[in-house]
Parts: sequence; structure tokens; C-alpha cells
Amino acid sequence: MQGRGSVHGWDRGRWLAAGGLVALFLVVCAAAYLAPVLSLFGQRDAPSTRTAIPTPAATPPPLDSTHRVNILLLGSDNDQKFKADAVLSQTMIVASIDPAHHQVILLSIPRDLWVAIPGDRTAKIDLAYADGGAALARATVEARFKIPIHYYAWVGLNGLVAIVDRLGGVDVDVLHPVLDELYPNDLAGAGYGYTRVYIPAGPQHLDGVRALEYVRSRHGDLLSDFGRSARQQQVLLALERQGSKLNLITELPTLAHDLNGHVKTDLDLLHAAQIAFYVRGLDRGDIHQVFLPPPMVADARSADGQDILLPNWPLIQQRLHELFGNDLLP
Amino acid sequence: MTRLACALISAIILITSSSCTAQGGVARDPGKVVQAHPAQAKPYPIFGRLYAVKGGTLYRFSGTTLRALTHQVTVKDPATSADGSELAFAQFGAQDSTIMMTGADLFALRAITPPAGPEGPLWAVEPAFAPDGSGLTYLTDRGKAGGPNDLGIWEYDLRSGQSRRLTIPVAYTGGDSDQTFRPGASPALLFTTYLYDGDPPQPVARLTWMSLRTYRQAYLSPSLERNFQPAVSPDGQFLAYVHAAPTGDELAVTRLPDAPGAPPYPTQAASVIQGGMVAHPVWSPDGRSLAFLRLVNGSFDLYVLPLSIDATGIHAQGAPIALTQGSFFDADSRLSWSP
Repeated sequence: MQGRGSVHGWDRGRWLAAGGLVALFLVVCAAAYLAPVLSLFGQRDAPSTRTAIPTPAATPPPLDSTHRVNILLLGSDNDQKFKADAVLSQTMIVASIDPAHHQVILLSIPRDLWVAIPGDRTAKIDLAYADGGAALARATVEARFKIPIHYYAWVGLNGLVAIVDRLGGVDVDVLHPVLDELYPNDLAGAGYGYTRVYIPAGPQHLDGVRALEYVRSRHGDLLSDFGRSARQQQVLLALERQGSKLNLITELPTLAHDLNGHVKTDLDLLHAAQIAFYVRGLDRGDIHQVFLPPPMVADARSADGQDILLPNWPLIQQRLHELFGNDLLP
Repeated sequence: MTRLACALISAIILITSSSCTAQGGVARDPGKVVQAHPAQAKPYPIFGRLYAVKGGTLYRFSGTTLRALTHQVTVKDPATSADGSELAFAQFGAQDSTIMMTGADLFALRAITPPAGPEGPLWAVEPAFAPDGSGLTYLTDRGKAGGPNDLGIWEYDLRSGQSRRLTIPVAYTGGDSDQTFRPGASPALLFTTYLYDGDPPQPVARLTWMSLRTYRQAYLSPSLERNFQPAVSPDGQFLAYVHAAPTGDELAVTRLPDAPGAPPYPTQAASVIQGGMVAHPVWSPDGRSLAFLRLVNGSFDLYVLPLSIDATGIHAQGAPIALTQGSFFDADSRLSWSP
């Protein structure tokens, strides 16, 4: 005869124990699945030892917000002419996600822009990351452009190569033939030197190394950094399209493993997932590419002989107001 | 614990989003070319010889058979003489490339351009045979002499073995590309001129016509557009090319005037015959169809589009026919189709 609380010969204690084991198994599986992902999102830029860096101007809006979220995308080379953790940012793009208007703005900031870096010198804006990491790069963008930066994401050379290769490459319509006699030969610790690059124009499939060459080369481009900024945004959008085909269930842990050490961000996984989910719902027409060409900037030479771009702040601010409206900092 | 809970919630979101949107694209195959078998029992037969490149290896379709022609070298841009007896392509080293030439049987392979000159290593790509078989043109950065190494069009004389420059590219634009001969009574060279135009400057690609008698040049397409990869029909009457539209790179055709000049440009009367992402159109030897690479499910595959010509112009005859599927051909390499 079976006692109370038993089902088919099992008492409640056994059921609880079995249920606990299943729950434990699921937690272990989830932890194993998510370990590399959590590790990736745990990698942040080292806190700067500088004391003069302003704190971020705005706290990130809540998850259910309809407010704009701005992410500073930073890309760096790792030329061995620089000391470790003191690399210039070759790419600065503000990705502004505006759920209320169902649009994304990609604003490329020219690396040669001559700005006053908060608590530091007046220099090219790419020096902000080298001098004070993501914190100073963020503070510089906030101070000069009045755009509140809620998050940042930094990707190194090998990180971009890993992302593209994990996505199986990226399909891009190369705008012009790319010819570069002085392309830095610094990938995979090859030492600092130069190599030659040739990428024909037209639609084609680029693997990671080729995609990096496409977004990084600038010596053969009449538009120099402006041409490169356009190519960077082009590949970014192509990656977004390619990523929308990715099966995140199976690929995310591997992607996170590949990116280990090549990506730093203060985005947490929950926000990253939410943003990924949101961007997947956008059409091509919802994404607006913005650059700062002349007359918003003008070629000049600094007192120490550098080729720089002088900002015309009234014109830039006018453009930013058109784009961001009242979401700019006072 | 909070972080783990956050991660678990995120996993649910990711799983949900990926379940909703993952499309399960074609897996990148390691090296095989997969011939398409649509409704019919046999693959679509190719008249003549159609050349394409995958993973740096040159392939030839003939009838319904497919053969890899090169091994352990990286090649691009096959080109065939008008009668199909001669084959040329670009062979790549780490820092240079040379134009190789051979018979269609691939015996007696020889380099006709040097891998380096006094100015350093050289690129040489995109050979194209003259219709009369007297020589071929190719792109090279020869003569750069420390300046920009944009590609210019050079001509190689098969009798003398000498090369000479035909075009001087605009500096820091990438140069000229995609050159192809227009046969007939008014022999000409058509190519893509890469430029920057507009305010602010933006990349444009213009189709250019150049007389091979007077060397006069004229644009075939307007500025502030991107039209490229011209292909001239065997009778010299029609031009196929790729037009960059907001929705993708589409295939367009138009009639070629005898001597192009002032606007309106021939491309302004063109018909789009294939949308999507298309590259490197090439005419069949009889001029009754076009082959091209088309991006489908992340793979550039070979397609053929039969054409009909009547008094109103040139038209697609039905839907394009897939010759391959999931084969990931190199879309940075030209195609060639010979008798």
C-alpha cells in the first residue's frame, strides 16, 4: 500500500530530489553555455589612472525606455610602434539608437579632428583613447559634440577579423578599387612593416583579413579618412545584415570565445541582447549614415606639423541639432 | 547571482530572437562547386566554354561538365580570345601579380608581364583579348614611380611582346577597371572610370568609351551614379553592365550608339533585366544570353539569362537559370565565355 504524497511508488522527497537535480543540470548547462558570453561582456577598458576625466554625463536609460541610446564604437590598430594599451582609435562612430522614431544614426567622427581633450591637451581626437582609454574618448565626445554616450564598445584588429570570419565573411560592394602600397603589416604580431593591398571594385565576399584591409586602408584614397569612414560604415551595415542570418543559439558562445581579449565594452549582456533584437527589426532605410565633411571641417596643419582637421563647431552643432534634436547635452 | 539571472534572461531573449529571425544560410563549402539541378534531370548545358574562379582556382564549364584547370596557384580574371584558342588570366604572388597566357589546353603557360619593375612590385590583372587577336589589354600600376599606384589600362602587342600605356587614371581613385573591347567597324575600348564627384565628394563609377583609332573618350553614364563592369555583345550593338541601385547591384542592358558623345547617356535608356546583387556579366558567344554571378543565400553562384532581341530592344526571356548553387565563386574575379 502506497502512503500519502506518493505517486507510482515515489514519495515527495524523491520527486523534489529529482526535480532539484534536473534544475541543477539546467543551471550547469546554462552556465556552461553562457560562460564565454559572460566573460566577453565582463571585459572592460582598464580604469584610467587619470583623475581629470569627467564622469559620463548621462546614465543609460532603462530597458523599457523609448529614449535614445548612444553607443561609442571605437576601433584601434595595434601597431607595434605604440606601447601596449596606448593605441590611437582609428575608428570613432557614434551609433545612436532612437526607438521612438524607429531609426539608427551612424555618425563617423574624423580621427584627425583637432579638439581640446578634457583635462588634457588639444590634439587629434584619436589621441583621447590612447591617453585615457574609453573613459577619455567618451568624455571628449560628450564635451565637444554634446552627445551623451551611454555605452562604449571597443574592437581591436583581431576582433574585427574574428567577427567577420565567424559570420562566414561579409558581402560588400567595394566602392572603388583599393590600392595601398603602405598598408600596416601588423596583424598577428608580424612586426611593424608595410605590405601591398589590392581589392578590386564591385560586389564580392570579404573574409576577415580582407574586410579589415578594406576598412583600414587610406593611403590610396583621395578622400583619405572620409573615404575610410564611409567604408567602415558600409562594412558595419553589411555585418549587421550578415549577423541577422546568424543562429545566435549555436553561434553566440563560439563568437564570444573568438572575441575574447579583442573586445571591450561596458554594455551588459541584457542590453546588448535588447539592442541586437531591436536592430534586427530595422530596414535599411531606418539607418542613417552621417559624416562630417567640409565645410564642417577644414584641412589645416598644427603648430607641430601634423595634418589635422579643424572643426567648424557652429556648423557641426547645427547638423547635430538636426540629427539629435533635444537629446543633446546642454 | 544577479549577473547569472541577467544572463539567463538574456539567453531567453537571444533564443527567442534567433528563433524568430535565423534564416539558416548556406554553409560555406570547403571547395566543391555544386551544379544546380532544378526541375530538369540534367544540369543546364553550356554552349562553348564558360570560365569562372572559386577560391583562386580556375574552373571551366563545357556542356554539362565542369573541370578545375589550375592547382596550387591563385588566379583571377580569366579571358579568352575571340575564337577560344587562347586563354589568359592573372596569377597572384604575395605582393604582386602577372598576366599569364596559354592555349585553351593550358600547355605552354607563359608570363607576359613582369612581377616587378624599377618602381617595385607590380599588380597586373584583368586581361582582355583584342577581337582581331593582335594583342590584349590589362590593368597595372606600372609607372607609379613613388606616386599613387592607381590602375591604368595597358596594351600588350603579341607580335612585338611590348606593352604601352593606354589610359592615365585620376590619382587616388583606384583608377580604371573592367576594360572590354567593342568589336565592329568602330573598334573601341569600354571600361569603368572610378572618380569622386559631388559636394561633398562621393565615390562614383562611370562607364567610359574610348576609340581605338583616335583615342577620344566619352562617358556612357552620368556622374553621381555607380555603373560598372561593362560587357559588350559579340556584335558590338548592346552593352550590359552593373548599376548600383539602393536595393542592390542590378544588371542592366542598353543599345550602344556608334560614336558616343554628349548626353543623354546610353545608360539613361537602359532596361534592368535582373535585380538583386549581380556581378561580372558576360555575353555568350552567340549573343543570345548573359552569364553572371548572383548573390543568393550568401553565395555568389553562376546564372545564365536567355535574351530575346526585337525592334524595341533587348529583353530577358524568362527567369535566370542557376548553373551552380552554394558554390561561393570569387566575385572579385571576372568571368569569360568563349566558343
